[in-house]
Amino acid sequence: MQRGLFLGPAAIALVALATLALPRLAATAPDPGAAPLATGDASARPWKRYPGWPSRDSVKFNTLANPNVSPPAPKEPRKLTKPLAGDPAIGAKLVADRTRGGSCLACHVMGQAGNADMPGNVGPDLSEIGNAGLDDDTLFNFVNDARVYNAESVMPPWGTNGLFSDEEIGHIVAFLKTLKSPAVFPTSVDDPSKRPPPVEHRDNLDEMVNPGLWTVEKAQQLWDARGPTGSSCAGCHGQAAERFKTWAAGMPKWEPRLDKVLGIEEFVYRHAKATTGFDWLMQSSENTAMAVYLRFLANGQAMHVDVTSPGAKEAFERGRALTATKVGQLNFSCLDCHDPKRGGLKWIRGQWLGEQRGQLDHFPTWRTSQQAIWDIRKRFEWCNVAVWANELPPEAKEYGDLELYLASVNAGLKLNVPGIRH
Amino acid sequence: MADKPRLKLPKEAKKGDVIEIKTLVQHPMETGLRKDAGGNVIPRKIVNKFSATFNGAPLFSAELEPAVAANPYLQFTAKIDQGGTFRFTWVDDDGTVTTAEETITVT
Repeated sequence: MQRGLFLGPAAIALVALATLALPRLAATAPDPGAAPLATGDASARPWKRYPGWPSRDSVKFNTLANPNVSPPAPKEPRKLTKPLAGDPAIGAKLVADRTRGGSCLACHVMGQAGNADMPGNVGPDLSEIGNAGLDDDTLFNFVNDARVYNAESVMPPWGTNGLFSDEEIGHIVAFLKTLKSPAVFPTSVDDPSKRPPPVEHRDNLDEMVNPGLWTVEKAQQLWDARGPTGSSCAGCHGQAAERFKTWAAGMPKWEPRLDKVLGIEEFVYRHAKATTGFDWLMQSSENTAMAVYLRFLANGQAMHVDVTSPGAKEAFERGRALTATKVGQLNFSCLDCHDPKRGGLKWIRGQWLGEQRGQLDHFPTWRTSQQAIWDIRKRFEWCNVAVWANELPPEAKEYGDLELYLASVNAGLKLNVPGIRH
Repeated sequence: MADKPRLKLPKEAKKGDVIEIKTLVQHPMETGLRKDAGGNVIPRKIVNKFSATFNGAPLFSAELEPAVAANPYLQFTAKIDQGGTFRFTWVDDDGTVTTAEETITVT
């Protein structure tokens, strides 16, 4: 692992040398007052998925860094060569099978399937699909790969991407044809159209309520700690509360020296490494604590990221394009789940899909379901793994572009860190 | 218990006041009923006892069971007749004892 160093004012004489060695950096004159940053990997190598996360390897499907590996959509519907001989009872089990990407019920109300227990409503209600007069070929192709009928469909291509076999799709089609009457829900919250969206009303800045706040105390100790070089954060910056009242609200930002968008977590690693010598790799408890603290100090400040300077504008455009990039075996883009024109502001089984605005101001956030604090990069990684795509290391430039775009969508919202969520 | 316990109680009170005391420790409260991905039982590890004393005299205690959620948060009240020191103790299944103290003055 090769690590270098971008030097600050003390070493301006070396800049000419550095630009000779790194020609792509030569176009942008480094700001002599810019913070020193270490180069090299900012997270553990080899990158390993977190303990307890699904271990499947989705290498045959798109990631945000490699969006051209998933099987292509078929050009036209498949013509069945023999009649389907599916068993509706097997189909009823398959539509509720959570081992294949959350089950059909995650997105569709399907009559009494799954006992009408908390189905989602991203897709249409299929409770009376059996009355629609659709033939086996059409139903088969809808499940196999709905893109043959609607290129914009958000439905996973169950057959094309190998989630269900032809025979299994036959069972599902047989089950669909039995659906002929509206769902009867055991309780009103089982009906996604009546289920109230979750509202977060806990006081996230009360340390008796939010264990995420305990990282602030840890960070205050780290602030004064001397690293291997003998330097501490306090040594150069003095009182953190005075110096960082607004800084975090302008992050992430385009960093020409690294040719990528730098988020607070990556900045903490690179800057602390270059100055104090501490190895606060991204996703270490020290890194997260400091990243929480720097935002905590700017709580109440409206987010305002730069998306107009030359490098930033391009990164913003790349980030916007990434939100439409289909990834994983389930073939979802960010927009498929978080744009209200698609799955946003709807239910995926019992989980509410929020829209993009409102998804950043509270990160890093304490997740009560995980008993852990997650920064935005870990959240991106989880989104990827949840749609059966391989995640990228937390400092991946694609995540930087995405974070910059997300921050611009959230501009004006006030930092409120650490948040608390399910 | 990685982090120090959190305590919330007034620094001072009038003689005869009934004050509210809140305590919180970070602890996974592993029930002993869950299994890991390999099907092995994850051993029980909970805080099984909490006690509070005031100037050495018992004030409040509780036996905790596996049903108590992670990060046990206990809230109770005490009548204050004199100033002194509260001492709080959490006992872990593995024998670890965590303590914290807080003083109060009577005005």
